Amino acid sequence: MSAREAILARVRKAAGGAEGREAAVAARLAGNGPHAPRPAQARSEGAARLELFEAKARAADATVARIATVADLPAALAAELRARNLPATVRTGADPLFVGLDWGAVERTEGVGRLEEPATLSRAEFGLAETGTLALASGPMNPVTLTFLGETHFVALPTADVMAGFEDFWAAWRARGLDPRTLNFVTGPSRSADIGQTLQLGAHGPVALHIFLIG
Amino acid sequence: MTGPAPKPRVALFVTCLVDLFRPRVGFAAVKLLEEAGCTVEVPEGQSCCGQPAYNSGDRETAKRVARTAIEAFEGYDWVVAPSGSCAAMVAKDYPELFRDDPAWLPRAEALAGRTREIVSFLTDVLGVERVAATLETTATYHDSCSGLRSLGVKAQPRRLLASVDGLTLTEMTDPEVCCGFGGTFCVKFSDISTKMVGDKTGNIAATGADLVLAGDMGCLMNMAGKLSREGRPQKARHVVEVLAGMADGPAIGEGA
Amino acid sequence: MTAHQPTSRQFKKNVTAALANENLQRAMRSTQSGFVGKRAKARDALPEFDSLRDAARDLKNHTLAHLDLYLERYETEVKASGGHVHWAETAGDARRIVLDICRAAGAKTVNKGKTMISEEIGLNAHLEENGVRAVETDLGEYIIQLRGEAPSHIIAPAVHVTVPEVDALFRKTHAHLPADRDLSELPTMLAEARAVLRQKYFEADVGVTGANMLIAETGQSVIVTNEGNGDLSQSLPRVHIVLASIEKIVPTLEDAATVLRVLARSATGQEMSVYTTFSRGPRRAEDPDGPEEYHVVLLDNGRTGMLGTEFQDMLRCIRCGACMNHCPVYQAVGGHAYGWVYPGPMGAVLTPSLIGVEEGGQLPNASTFCGRCESVCPMRIPLPKMMRHWREREFEKHLAPAASRYGLRFWGFFAARPALYRRATGLAARALAALGRGRGRFAALPLAGGWTRSRDFPTPAPKTFMQQWKER
Repeated sequence: MSAREAILARVRKAAGGAEGREAAVAARLAGNGPHAPRPAQARSEGAARLELFEAKARAADATVARIATVADLPAALAAELRARNLPATVRTGADPLFVGLDWGAVERTEGVGRLEEPATLSRAEFGLAETGTLALASGPMNPVTLTFLGETHFVALPTADVMAGFEDFWAAWRARGLDPRTLNFVTGPSRSADIGQTLQLGAHGPVALHIFLIG
Repeated sequence: MTGPAPKPRVALFVTCLVDLFRPRVGFAAVKLLEEAGCTVEVPEGQSCCGQPAYNSGDRETAKRVARTAIEAFEGYDWVVAPSGSCAAMVAKDYPELFRDDPAWLPRAEALAGRTREIVSFLTDVLGVERVAATLETTATYHDSCSGLRSLGVKAQPRRLLASVDGLTLTEMTDPEVCCGFGGTFCVKFSDISTKMVGDKTGNIAATGADLVLAGDMGCLMNMAGKLSREGRPQKARHVVEVLAGMADGPAIGEGA
Repeated sequence: MTAHQPTSRQFKKNVTAALANENLQRAMRSTQSGFVGKRAKARDALPEFDSLRDAARDLKNHTLAHLDLYLERYETEVKASGGHVHWAETAGDARRIVLDICRAAGAKTVNKGKTMISEEIGLNAHLEENGVRAVETDLGEYIIQLRGEAPSHIIAPAVHVTVPEVDALFRKTHAHLPADRDLSELPTMLAEARAVLRQKYFEADVGVTGANMLIAETGQSVIVTNEGNGDLSQSLPRVHIVLASIEKIVPTLEDAATVLRVLARSATGQEMSVYTTFSRGPRRAEDPDGPEEYHVVLLDNGRTGMLGTEFQDMLRCIRCGACMNHCPVYQAVGGHAYGWVYPGPMGAVLTPSLIGVEEGGQLPNASTFCGRCESVCPMRIPLPKMMRHWREREFEKHLAPAASRYGLRFWGFFAARPALYRRATGLAARALAALGRGRGRFAALPLAGGWTRSRDFPTPAPKTFMQQWKER
């Protein structure tokens, strides 16, 4: 008997011959299982939702700026790079949101993350207001390495894509038909408390996370 | 025409450590119960709740001892113990102990439903809101684990202590952290127990209180023994001694 | 296997060493309040927290009752995404599978995200013995790997190491850097580790990570980290291997969210950890990055033996570490004293399950049953109850010391006969009372050395309550 068969046989034996097991599993996988309580903080609406998203992202040590339209992104990014004493260059994916813009003084290169990446820019598919979390989908539009190799990680997020919490997020995610290799939830910049049990930002991933909320 | 409600008939579950080391706690419990309008009896047939065996993995012996307790305490309105640990054993663990014993399970469950820890019995069942006691001192209260986590005893003793004239209650750091007694744990793993009780007495001393109170003799003997070994001035008493106005005379572990 | 051999049998010896280790005691003191306070704050900020714990418990119970079906669905989904699923019955099987994948990939270096399963199967030593270099990338794991140690905490592996120790370690290990460099500030130390490890991500041929969850519906593996090392370990090398035990399965994406809502809050007090990554299969044709091969090793290693027993509830564990953060015994002795991979209350239940009660039997005895672990467990695992079940098994197997076994039976004989019991205990108490008359306490007592070495023992009352009650 293969290891697979042996393990599954032991699991089946422990489960006993209870009736309706297949039906219970099918129901759960079809989304008809019991629903866990939906926290009040995952129910925000409208302007309050955006405020909550911003507040939670800041509580997780991200910085957030609102810009009116995507056309304002290059100038806003250029100002942020200057303010952070970073060179006027940024690494991005091939997201159509970025491709059509006039980047002016910022030198934008496309591709995967490299050993040294002072600044990277990604686009988040969604935001989750309940925890100030970004949801990024990997692919040619958003190479996953940009999320982890950038010393400073910039993320663009249209306000229309800010969800209240996991419930409406998963519904929207499924509705958008997304199936990337990785779905990356990001809540603030990287951190570690492994040296002296003191929390420090910038462990292996970005030292800083800056979110442009568009719209 | 209705007469006054009949007095609840309460069996006092004395518990081993109170019986042998601190009879005054038993008398304080009787006094509080009688003042709250109960008829108190002390059933002859009682011995131990069975925890030493239960917690050592000896289920059979635990059951044998538990059956004795079930028989001793049948027929009372309530069974009340001056110990969160012994009360929790009866109220929470007896049904689990007899889960596969159809003959004894109903009796175990019936007893479990009628068994209470004394302070929470006074407040939650009898509606006692204050006591008529005076004690000019500063005390700190240690939450014994079983009472706190199995029975939800936390606010009740503090509420009644707040009504004691002259008494100031000062909270210690980590009042909910175990003192390291743990029944046989304190001798089987005496090094760890010593570290735990040392942390506890440090927290007690840091409050500057004169007195540490708790609802379980095991914890109290452990803390009192460490306080006196460390030469600290703090004394230890069972909470009901204070509530019953019987906090005179030697404290736990103090010479006569 | 030359991985860390269990020393759980000599728990008491380990305890003595731990209590005498000043560095360890200092490190434990500095963390004790941190985790507890942060969890409490996170719980208080989410009114639904306790009902989410109920939901998380229920979803795991449902999953365990249907585990075979969910495992099959999970496997189908992984394969559909182009990944490989390997089933491992034992630690040895899992080690062999990982080594085979590394050899087929021609791997010289393996980068590792934090995985407790890797510790459980002793992977690093096995790879090294076979000429493959394993590099831990989680900062804490990196530190203890350099020290040649096992983790002492499941989410904060180097919690026992002090800052001066890290300073000395980095100076010794990073010998290519100037010897007189200034490491006095914590950020400098972190930057140095970051720079050294950043290079290694690009050199590794294989990346190994654990999994916080496996999602049956989609075939995704989920890792939850704060540093970002797990993602770099799984994104940059050509091959990604996920090490996961079979009970990590949850049915759906929504179920994963329920677990996430209690996980970080219980572990570090964060609402969400910084990085939560759902991965499905190898890179697609259009993907510019990500691994070309994706393997999952599904490990049993004793877990199916827990299903259907009084220890099944333990398989709900999501490895948040809240039980050890709140355990006064763990806080007193640290994780290494437990002698194997999993410390604290969860380790005290799991260790005898996975490596045998003969080896791990001391651990479930080393508890006061204070219940603080159960009170904070996000999956509501009745840890004290399961420790008691281990004691019962030991008692049945006659593993408990004979003196204690007969003592209990002897005591039980009296305790079941109240009149006799009262006479016997009363007599003993009276003898002791006479001995200690007027002093109130004993500084030393025969047979009670465990108590009186560090504490005075109160003198019994001259007359028991029962005697006085009768006479009143």
